[in-house]
Amino acid sequence: MDFARTTLKTATEMEYPMGMLVAHECLALIEQYAFSNPYRAVDHYHMALAIAENIAGLNSRKWAITGNIATLYYEQEEYGKALDGFRAVLHGSKDLEFTALANIANVFGALNQPDSAIRYYRRALAHRQSAEEPAFRANLYSNLSLVYANAGEIDSAVSATAESLSLVETHGIGLVRPTAYANAAMAYLKANDYGKARHYAEASLASSERQGNLFLQKSAWGTLADVFAARGEYRQALEAHQRYSALKDSLNNQNRRVEINRKQMAFDFEKERAVAQAEIERQATAQSAYIWGGSGLLVFSVFGFILYKRRRDALAQKKEAELNAQVLDTELKALRSQLNPHFIFNSLNSIGDYITKNDNRSAKDYLIKFAKLMRAVLENSEHDYIPLCDDLAFLELYLQVETKRLPGRFSYTIDVDDRLDTENTLVPPLLLQPFVENSIWHGFKGREKPGQITVSFRKNQDLLLCTVDDDGIGRQPMAASGSRSLGIALTENRIRMLNAQKKAGGTLEIIDKADNTGTRVEVSLPFETAF
Amino acid sequence: MLTIAIIDDEQHCINRILELLEPYGDNLEIASFLTAEESIRGIEILRPAIVFLDVQLRGRTGFEVLSAITYRDFSLIFTTAHEQYAIAAFKCAAIDYLLKPIDESDFERAMRKAMEKVEQTQLAERIGILLSHLEKDNAPKRISIPYKEGYHFLDIRSIARCEADVNYTHILMADGQKYTVSKPLKHFEGLLAEHDFFRIHNSHLINLDYIKSYTKSGKVTLLDNLTLDVSVRKKESFIKTVERR
Repeated sequence: MDFARTTLKTATEMEYPMGMLVAHECLALIEQYAFSNPYRAVDHYHMALAIAENIAGLNSRKWAITGNIATLYYEQEEYGKALDGFRAVLHGSKDLEFTALANIANVFGALNQPDSAIRYYRRALAHRQSAEEPAFRANLYSNLSLVYANAGEIDSAVSATAESLSLVETHGIGLVRPTAYANAAMAYLKANDYGKARHYAEASLASSERQGNLFLQKSAWGTLADVFAARGEYRQALEAHQRYSALKDSLNNQNRRVEINRKQMAFDFEKERAVAQAEIERQATAQSAYIWGGSGLLVFSVFGFILYKRRRDALAQKKEAELNAQVLDTELKALRSQLNPHFIFNSLNSIGDYITKNDNRSAKDYLIKFAKLMRAVLENSEHDYIPLCDDLAFLELYLQVETKRLPGRFSYTIDVDDRLDTENTLVPPLLLQPFVENSIWHGFKGREKPGQITVSFRKNQDLLLCTVDDDGIGRQPMAASGSRSLGIALTENRIRMLNAQKKAGGTLEIIDKADNTGTRVEVSLPFETAF
Repeated sequence: MLTIAIIDDEQHCINRILELLEPYGDNLEIASFLTAEESIRGIEILRPAIVFLDVQLRGRTGFEVLSAITYRDFSLIFTTAHEQYAIAAFKCAAIDYLLKPIDESDFERAMRKAMEKVEQTQLAERIGILLSHLEKDNAPKRISIPYKEGYHFLDIRSIARCEADVNYTHILMADGQKYTVSKPLKHFEGLLAEHDFFRIHNSHLINLDYIKSYTKSGKVTLLDNLTLDVSVRKKESFIKTVERR
């Protein structure tokens, strides 16, 4: 997926339409089959379509894309849209005529319109491409027999089935075999030829068990139950029926999950998936692909093999992306938890410093203020994001406590943009604290006149700008005194991780003001709100 | 004369409160107890106006003390180091608490409140609510909400929704009754989130049992046909919460 995105970006920069088109198609396939997100897939297909329509040399690609969109609608059971798409392809493109005919027949089959389905199957069978490829013919005859059987045209169903079976056996077409057997069993059952019905139902069962295709197994057990019942072998019929019911229930459960999944996607397809959900989604994807694959009694796709390979590649890429996301999440948590001991030990330094300078009573009050701060650190660092007002309250308390320890050394201002709703604005907890701490401990070393620290939060379009500004001695003398802050290193890492996680462009800049007149730290974060 | 009882199994914690009470002058009568048994007897005899009560008391708890006493006309302030479960229950019952080690300004605030007459009203009822929230059963629970002259006690299941009004919150009951409290909506979100309430919007906290329908465009209709927006950022988690039920 990253690769496809990079291709898209590069192609866009180079204004290379062919590359853009292929990248969009690729992204669409990944969305459709690996992420089961048809809505995004449609978006990409439409982008590709727009390119194909606008560039004269790429006009021929238009029909393949339209066909893919229609297939996607077919899988989503939006048959009207699917039909429109396949019809457009049928009229527009000679090369894709055959695929379009077969797909239109499938749509009519799914719509329970046997007359139309039969007409299109016949047209597809009469097509040149079908004459060249026995597997296509075998599948078409098999599907045709099912439509005939459902329409009650038993003789035609039997002859179509015979045609399909002979093609399968003559050419050894393994892919179509279990479906052909299952459809044959149904056709013979309807024709009251119980011997053949039983034979093909059992054959279908054996081959679909080998393939692990539950849908065909269910259908075979159903046919067997009917066969046994028709022969008066009730005990066996009951047994077969029980197997049929069990498989049906389990398939229904899967279908329901797919259905819920689909509804949810319709709802929030614009959003990125949460990492935790990715695994569940992946399973649902596997199941839905499986069920659609299982409806192979009707589904016919000449893209099948290419799709399978692309889907497998996409799955591998997706797995890697998930893993990366998890690693990021864990590392962020680890970084936050490293900040806690860092804060605690620095606090103990402050407290120790205070005790040597003051009486017991005020040292104790000071200690209690720090206990409060520590409680806030522990509570805040449990969360990825906290409301800005909570972070402000923490900074205020921290600065108050530190001014008490160093009376007359510095004063501070916390300046918040009036337009910011501090309850609704979210920030990563304690992001600025290490910089404030650095200014306090190192910024004013060896200076007579009191320093000034200004912390500010501003909103700038879709960014939150946070700054810590001091008028201290600047960084060079600081570096010379040998202090490299662990807190700052941790924060740099956190911003990097947050960027990777949110795909955002958060930045950290440490600016040395002219002539050692202080240091200014600017952090910009993507503007996040709770509501 | 103001009688104050301090109940804590750690002498240094009692000392801290004594120290914090120094500025309140000589007009205080202070009794301290190290065990639950002593304190139960002591409260019945001394009838204090203010009680500081520790959550953990050597294998017993401050809640057992509250269950055992019959005299309940005092201002109650719990003291605790980090018992999160208890803090949630204090908030539901509107019973004050202090975190240890106790900060001076927090202590002053609690004392100011404890000395108001209203703080002593309906304590028995609030203790009942506190104890019910500490039970791990599914019995219907109530919350206490303060108003100028006392407390209202509301059955959580009968609250349809809460609406923010700057720093006030309007609580709207299923029967149309409305209460306004001078606490931010965030406070009630904290209390009610675990009772199947969901904050769908900066201004709205709703009881999920009162949803009639929701649309994919992000609107919720409640049983009284009021339609509210679900904010874009909450849509995903809202749908998940609703579908999990």
